[in-house]
Amino acid sequence: MLADIGYASLVTALIASVFAAFASWYGARTGNHRWVESARNAIAITFPLILVACLTMIVSLVRNDFSLEYVASVTSLDMPTYLKVTALWGGQKGSLLFWNLLLSLFTAAAMQRKWREDRELMPYALLVASFTQIFFLIITIFFENPFTRLPVVPLDGRGLNPLLRHPGMIIHPPMLYLGFVGFTIPYVFAMAALMSGHLDDAWIRTTRRWTLVAWLFLSLGLILGGRWAYDVLGWGGYWGWDPVENASLMPWLAGTAFLHSVMIQEKRGMFKLWNMVLIVITFLLVISGTFIVRSGVISSVHSFAQSAIGPLFFGFLVIMLVFSVYWIIRRHDALSAENRLNSFLSRESAFLANNFLIIAILAAVFIGTYFPIMSEMFGDKVVVGPPYYEKVTGPLFALLVLLMGIAPLTMWFRTNGMKMLRAMAWPAVGALIPIVIMIVVGLGSPGTWLGLWIATFAGILTVREYLKGTWARMRSKHENPFRALYSLVARNRRRYGGYLIHLGVVAMAFGIIGIEFFQQETQLLMQTGQTVDLGRYTLLFNGVDRFAGRDDLIITEATMDVYIGDRLVKTINPRTELYTRTGQPMTIPDLRSTPLEDFYVLLVAWEPQLADQATVRIYLNPLVNWVWAGGIIFIFGTLIAAWPDRADEKAIAASRARQRVAVATD
Amino acid sequence: MTDTTWTTKQQELEKPKRNNLKFVIGGILIVAALGFLIFNALSDTQQYYVTVGEYYANPAKYHGSDLRLTAFVLGDSIKFTQIDDFTSRLEFDIADDINNPTQVMHIVAMNEPVPDLLQHEAQAVVEGSIGADGAMYANSGGLLLKCPTRYEEAAAAEAAVVE
Repeated sequence: MLADIGYASLVTALIASVFAAFASWYGARTGNHRWVESARNAIAITFPLILVACLTMIVSLVRNDFSLEYVASVTSLDMPTYLKVTALWGGQKGSLLFWNLLLSLFTAAAMQRKWREDRELMPYALLVASFTQIFFLIITIFFENPFTRLPVVPLDGRGLNPLLRHPGMIIHPPMLYLGFVGFTIPYVFAMAALMSGHLDDAWIRTTRRWTLVAWLFLSLGLILGGRWAYDVLGWGGYWGWDPVENASLMPWLAGTAFLHSVMIQEKRGMFKLWNMVLIVITFLLVISGTFIVRSGVISSVHSFAQSAIGPLFFGFLVIMLVFSVYWIIRRHDALSAENRLNSFLSRESAFLANNFLIIAILAAVFIGTYFPIMSEMFGDKVVVGPPYYEKVTGPLFALLVLLMGIAPLTMWFRTNGMKMLRAMAWPAVGALIPIVIMIVVGLGSPGTWLGLWIATFAGILTVREYLKGTWARMRSKHENPFRALYSLVARNRRRYGGYLIHLGVVAMAFGIIGIEFFQQETQLLMQTGQTVDLGRYTLLFNGVDRFAGRDDLIITEATMDVYIGDRLVKTINPRTELYTRTGQPMTIPDLRSTPLEDFYVLLVAWEPQLADQATVRIYLNPLVNWVWAGGIIFIFGTLIAAWPDRADEKAIAASRARQRVAVATD
Repeated sequence: MTDTTWTTKQQELEKPKRNNLKFVIGGILIVAALGFLIFNALSDTQQYYVTVGEYYANPAKYHGSDLRLTAFVLGDSIKFTQIDDFTSRLEFDIADDINNPTQVMHIVAMNEPVPDLLQHEAQAVVEGSIGADGAMYANSGGLLLKCPTRYEEAAAAEAAVVE
């Protein structure tokens, strides 16, 4: 009964979306605003309808309604309630339903706001948004229906994959989905601007704000995903260049490029066409990413059209591509630049170089990710692994970090080269200090020294931007340093939020250099009482204990003491958990974590008949926590930059009012 | 007067053009460098992605090159041996069709932990190369096991059994 209500509300949501698409199209054609209003109401109602469907699914999950195939496949009686709720996105069908919910939420929210300001864009925005919603609803209702019943009700479900029972995995997918779905809104407004021909600044402002929101969530999703891999997958890494990971990295890169180049459009009226292209690319990468993740077209060895939704996604992708390209070509005149680049050494060129580098990274990742499909068309299926990505993107990322440091020194129009060089001189020398220390200690290689120099140099330059601004305010306004820093950031949140993001990136760069180039690992058989040294640490093995845990778990837990010299710094308990009912083991590392390094230990193997010995694997991961700390700084910076600015809104409203008056007097 | 105006206009027109040319040449150089970087990395790091059946159809073709081989794990064959304190050997067999394993590849992974998902019927993706003994030796970190599809299939199978 409950499932029927859920299914019925999904179907009703589809009908409402189809009506919205029709009404908005008709309203746009005839110029009759009542149809457009009606379309907006229809779009607004899809959110509560899909919410009802999601709620019925959650209730079914919590109440263990194993008559539903989806519930039986992702939950079991012994699972705690919060995991049953999050099982909504624990499998393909549920996560598509959840995707629909987020899409309708974003769309409804975007269509409620700015209704008055963007009146001309609205019918087209509604049309594109409802078309996207229709596609995802069709997938859910006809191909991946989470309300499908089993012929016979099983006594218990299969339960959620233990690897996914991790806090990171509970928040990570919704963040990614929010990011992915969020990028639909910028696309919707961009297409609406193209279709309506209203290519003034209105769409770019709406789009920039929504892009920043989507980008924030996607960044969070990427960082949390890395943390989950580090905690759970037990290989001491955080990023594996897997197609699934690349699928979320690529739209993030395109979004990053847009967020930078949009500033040139706002300041100088340049790159309009390019920005439009970036928004379209971002959206298409979201759809193609969803396509490759869900259809298994790349990860499986020969699986094109393995799943029913593969061809559907592919079809949708082609339709949206053709549609976008058509409108961009049709309106390309209106997208021509108002200005030209004046000099190689200008803020504009710095942004251009930034876009070049990001797009180069994107292209490399794209080629690597799609290489299996491309090569299969010509014969053998050939894949590339992490070494490919590291080789290509490593130097490009290094250049990007370097540019990130230098770019704030450039000026709009033209920059005085000598002045810039002078400004860089001391930071360049200062950044040599850590390298000199490394050389003296005898650590690293020329490559790592260069990488460290670049990261330090960019870090110093970015911190100096804050110091310079704060110092100027202290002198001119006689404020104390904290007050000056606060008002500096508060008055120019986009700029200083952006610099904070840059500092986050610098911290992450240090972390990545640390773990990629200085990671140490060893795997060995240890007897009780035996010690082993790795780096400055000594590990003492005290034995293994096996006992029953909650539910159906059998826990095998080692006790080990971590020493630095003679000092005991921590007792750790790496363990394995065996879910006896499903036979699924799970290795849970334990670690001693400090800002400088993680000492990370895994229990690899233990036999009850040889109780006083066990095989352990030990990793020493230098600076890995800088990756997470950098991630937090990064997100904090994005929040500062994205927070709605009342003064900004007022200024925009005023400028629009002026424009309207000007148009009226013309 | 007209001449002067003409000259100025000409200069105005020419200046951005030259500027454009600089950017075009710069752009071509950058794209060429990027193309070289990608091409170079691609040719160094590519692996054939094949099933066990495809490997045995033409073993000579794949000898000596880096392979990514995929098939399903035969649970009974999984064996972890600690050879000495610092050497362990993990081995198992994989086959395209576990119900009828006519062609089997023996996988050997030295000093690798046993992946949590290494179980009967799990899909294994192994990166490595074929040794002289005909077994496949996994690269360090070259074992990837997958489960989600198996989970869903298993649920369906269980439901069928109940039925």
